Amino acid sequence: MPKVQFIDPSVARQAGEITFNPIPVNQYAKTVAEEKANFSNDDFLRIYHDMVVIREFETMLNLIKTTGEYSGVPYDHPGPAHLSAGQEAAAVGMAYTLTVDDFIFGSHRSHGEILAKGLSAIQKLNDADLMRIMETFFNGTVLNVVKKDFKGTTKQLGRRFLIYGTLAEIFARETGFNKGLGGSMHAFFTPFGVYPNNAIVGGSGDISVGAALYKKINRKPGMVVANIGDASMACGPVWEGLSFASMDQFNELWEGDMKGGLPVIFNVMNNQYGMGGQTCGETMGYGKVARIGAGVNPEQMHAERVDGYNPLAVIDAYRRKRQLIEEKKGPILLEILTYRYSGHSPSDASSYRSKEEIEAWQAQDSIASFGKSLVDAKITDQKTLDSVWADIKQIMVEMLKLSINDEVSPRMDIRKRPEQIGEMIFSNQSVDKMEDRIPEVNHPMAENPRVIQISKKERFAFDADGKPFSKMKQYQLRDGIFDAIVDRFYKDPTLVAYGEENRDWGGAFAVYRGLTEALPYHRLFNSPISEASIVGTAIGYAMCGGRVIPEIMYCDFLGRCGDEVFNQLPKWQAMSGNVLKMPVVLRVSVGSKYGAQHSQDWTSLVAHIPGLKVVFPVTPYDAKGLMNSALQGTDPVVFFESQRVYDIGEQFHKGGVPEGYYEIPFGEPDVKREGKDVTILTIGATLYRALEAAKILEQKYGMSAEVIDARSLVPFNYEKVVASVKKTGRIIVSGDATSRGSFLNELARNITELAFDYLDAPPVVVGSRNWITPAYELEEAFFPQPEWFIDAIHEKIVPLKGHISGQNFSDLEQIRRAKLGV
Amino acid sequence: MAFVVIMPKQGQSVESCIITEWNKKKGDQVKKGDLLFAYETDKASFEEEAAVEGTLLELFYETGDEVPVLTNVCVIGAPGEPVDAFRPGGAVTEIIETIETIEINGTIETNGTSPVAQSVGSGAISPRAKNLAEKEGVQLDGITGSGPGGRIIEQDVKAVINSHPKTTPLARKIAGEEQLQPASQGSGLGGSVKAKDLTAINPIYSNDFEIKKLSNMRKLIAKAMHQSLQNSAQLTHHLGADARRMLELRRKVKKANDNGYPVNITLNDMVCFAVVKALRKFPQANAHFLGDSVKYFNKIHLGIAVDTERGLMVPAIRNADDLSIQGLSNQMREIAASCRKGAINPELLSSEAASFTVSNLGNYGVELFTPVINLPQVGILGVNTIVPRPKDLGDGAYGFVPYIGLSLTYDHQALDGGEATRFLKQIATEIENLEFEL
Repeated sequence: MPKVQFIDPSVARQAGEITFNPIPVNQYAKTVAEEKANFSNDDFLRIYHDMVVIREFETMLNLIKTTGEYSGVPYDHPGPAHLSAGQEAAAVGMAYTLTVDDFIFGSHRSHGEILAKGLSAIQKLNDADLMRIMETFFNGTVLNVVKKDFKGTTKQLGRRFLIYGTLAEIFARETGFNKGLGGSMHAFFTPFGVYPNNAIVGGSGDISVGAALYKKINRKPGMVVANIGDASMACGPVWEGLSFASMDQFNELWEGDMKGGLPVIFNVMNNQYGMGGQTCGETMGYGKVARIGAGVNPEQMHAERVDGYNPLAVIDAYRRKRQLIEEKKGPILLEILTYRYSGHSPSDASSYRSKEEIEAWQAQDSIASFGKSLVDAKITDQKTLDSVWADIKQIMVEMLKLSINDEVSPRMDIRKRPEQIGEMIFSNQSVDKMEDRIPEVNHPMAENPRVIQISKKERFAFDADGKPFSKMKQYQLRDGIFDAIVDRFYKDPTLVAYGEENRDWGGAFAVYRGLTEALPYHRLFNSPISEASIVGTAIGYAMCGGRVIPEIMYCDFLGRCGDEVFNQLPKWQAMSGNVLKMPVVLRVSVGSKYGAQHSQDWTSLVAHIPGLKVVFPVTPYDAKGLMNSALQGTDPVVFFESQRVYDIGEQFHKGGVPEGYYEIPFGEPDVKREGKDVTILTIGATLYRALEAAKILEQKYGMSAEVIDARSLVPFNYEKVVASVKKTGRIIVSGDATSRGSFLNELARNITELAFDYLDAPPVVVGSRNWITPAYELEEAFFPQPEWFIDAIHEKIVPLKGHISGQNFSDLEQIRRAKLGV
Repeated sequence: MAFVVIMPKQGQSVESCIITEWNKKKGDQVKKGDLLFAYETDKASFEEEAAVEGTLLELFYETGDEVPVLTNVCVIGAPGEPVDAFRPGGAVTEIIETIETIEINGTIETNGTSPVAQSVGSGAISPRAKNLAEKEGVQLDGITGSGPGGRIIEQDVKAVINSHPKTTPLARKIAGEEQLQPASQGSGLGGSVKAKDLTAINPIYSNDFEIKKLSNMRKLIAKAMHQSLQNSAQLTHHLGADARRMLELRRKVKKANDNGYPVNITLNDMVCFAVVKALRKFPQANAHFLGDSVKYFNKIHLGIAVDTERGLMVPAIRNADDLSIQGLSNQMREIAASCRKGAINPELLSSEAASFTVSNLGNYGVELFTPVINLPQVGILGVNTIVPRPKDLGDGAYGFVPYIGLSLTYDHQALDGGEATRFLKQIATEIENLEFEL
């Protein structure tokens, strides 16, 4: 809460009422004749053409799925096909006015939107730019297929390019827009302003807001349209996206030209069904989607329902809404009423709706009625319309034949290059800044109070005699993270950071203290307490070209952004065919002392998901070096921190934490203490308890323990650990995660395989108990303690003379616990 | 101090033995080496001797009892010493009692390390310990593991290593590879065990044999000889040559030597000289058989079998056909000396270096033998001792004439019987008509 905003109790407590303005519903009432001033005859025909392209494209896929052929061309497509026949006017109307710089995001049912926006972009691009886009995309791979033996205009070539690229992508061909790695539900083509479609319902609801945030903060032209469905309005992430997009601070606190709303339109394609659930009357309560706008902000999101069966009505709405976006009055909610003829997917028999209902909507078919109105208005004749159909049917057959021809449209050769997909999971680039311009800051870095304060600190924890400096004097772990982040803020103009309490508070754990002074509002701000939108918007921000540090405070809140962290953040680099980069550093803090929902180490959950890099530094030196690497890279990094050690000084790196910039490569574990009798490999702050255990082992049992800090989970280089095990023959793997299913077991398994012949005992996992985290006072029964290491060695590795175990590491107990599931 | 006699473990798979006879009874005085009892496994019978002197205090088993190996069988000691502690079964009870005590004391509420509950069974060994044992040549029988549940871990193997004398790296390697035991006292520096000190000693029985590693030389010979017989079609023809001419020449040489003639031309030199001459006429015998082709030599490189302390060596005398008998004699002497000194050029020892070989066992009195070809050569001449044989001297008169036996082994793959016979006969003819000037 910023101090400039005074909450006056006498105002806040005043009596009154909240009033709403009427929300327009299907208010467009113009005829074609009346619109002649706004559209040329060519324009009208182009609208008709684009709708037919979509109808025929979807018809083709439907026939392939249901009859195994189209126009006599047989093909088997085992993958998904969520079709939008019936929704053409909505898609074309939405895309018609959009510029190439306007971005659309979509859903699983977005073939129509891809084609509509693509055709719109082809129309608006000049031939040279269009040709350059096609020639440079994947070095002309897609273009070469459709260009061969073709003699038409560049725009006609563009149409072939669009239809073929989308179709080849749906059929998982390497010549598709995303090398066949996206498929039907994720296909997109960014040079035409078509951004990722999403197989998760509502997935674009927060990602698109991040794209709008990117456009606003980096002063990029254009707006963002989130094409989501009527059923997605029930999804948490969509609500979080709406809330994030409508934050007061854009108008109240952001300064200068940054003041004003986000350029985003939530375009709800209301086809009235969510799979088989009828949103109006059964599964939702809003009656009309546009109603929701009234609940979001005083502007009611400028919401209205538009008749999506009339393309001119939708175009009219977009012309008006664009005006509002340009006046910085976003976000906007548009409900485009439409209807899908096919089922959710070809396997859906539409048992949830009557034949009469479908026929009634088909009787008012948007293409047929629009065509009739054009003929009635004498803009064209039926013969011309028929020739449009004939032309499109011909190009569909031609593009289908090309896209299923294994020679011109091969699939990825995973036999020849079995690691090809693996090579696409990370982009592994080293980039100082995502864009070359001067970063906006409030003062030179050297004048920053925190920077000045840190410069006076002791960069090594101990003095020359080995005595520790006072905590206040020590350069702490939080200083290491701050150092790396502030440095990047002064290097990369696109870098933004946000999350809960990130600004005035300086972050709940004081990492960002001092950043508020250094940065304008739009580079560091507080978000709503809604982790899905924090991470989701960061994904959108990064995929458009920015670098971003979202922060979700407690690790336990990862569940709140589960889809964003598990399905979106890790997947888009590979799923895009490496078109997109994802330079997102997600800061996650592992708690302690705060009980069951604020003290969990969930590193294992994210390490399980392919496509995320995962690090967990616990010394100031490592924290700064790994944060520098994270911020220099182009891949999504989940950066774990531990609340146990934010104030810890550097105890290992000789000479202390360097003042200048340095990087620590991901994946390299670090030997924190050398030894020869047993290796202890730790993840996170457990390191310090392992070091205490090493001291006990040495003093009481004459054993010398080698303690290795994993530092990274993904990637991870086993060589150093295996070398240590070759020396000691014994290893304990430890961390604070509950041990069942944890990454500790992954480490133990790999070490067993890689060093089996050198092992004197099986690797032993010392993790937390499979319980809820109890109160701080009881934590010693839950988290690994120094004595547990001794017990584990005594019981599992080598019996220690005179040792009496406090923890039961026996085989019988192991079996008993597993039987009970605790 | 009471000494316990256990039932020895006779081999990996033996779990128990049956006592077939007691040679002593309870109360008997026994001396070191006295026979205590006989026992048998399903495969063999054995006897157990007393390792110490004393009174046989107790017998835990009787004749006919089946006794698990490594179980206490009897106790030798001073009269009056208690023996119950050694009674089989007693020890286990004791361990269990110990555990109960701990539990009653309540020092731990969990069941802790329990050798009974957690026993991983005898013979469990960590991969690291196993590898170390193999590398260091440590036998694991009888070692008690100190790891959890009695698992043998690295420190147990190290303890065994430290209790043994130092072993050279080669000895360690060989012991590990061949399951040999180091002697308790080695012959190397400071008593360290060298490879030659390794034996397959059974620690319980005395050894009645000794296993020695083959020298590399022996290995090579073994391999070459075995391969020769495996890979060619060898057969031997025997034929005698009248040796009178040769013996006469030998007498002349001796006499000349007495008068200061420098070259001692032996009978062997003469045979070799005759062989060289015969080979000139039978180039098909001066050859290597190469499977799909035959290599005929323009020159004659004569292989000479030399008996040395290290084993048989067959150096080649290159270009023997260029030499006079004196030259041949000199070279043969020199080359044999080099072999015995170990100073021979190894290239000359290769079977490819010679085109034909002569092996002379005549001076040992061998009358007939079948020499083995040095492949890829096609023949080898064995030279036997000279024996008197009756000969038709003409006119119905028979007399005993000294004959030297010649045994030609040839590879039938390369030569036919007729050719070989004619070649052998040619050698005999050359011997019988030998001539040279002194």
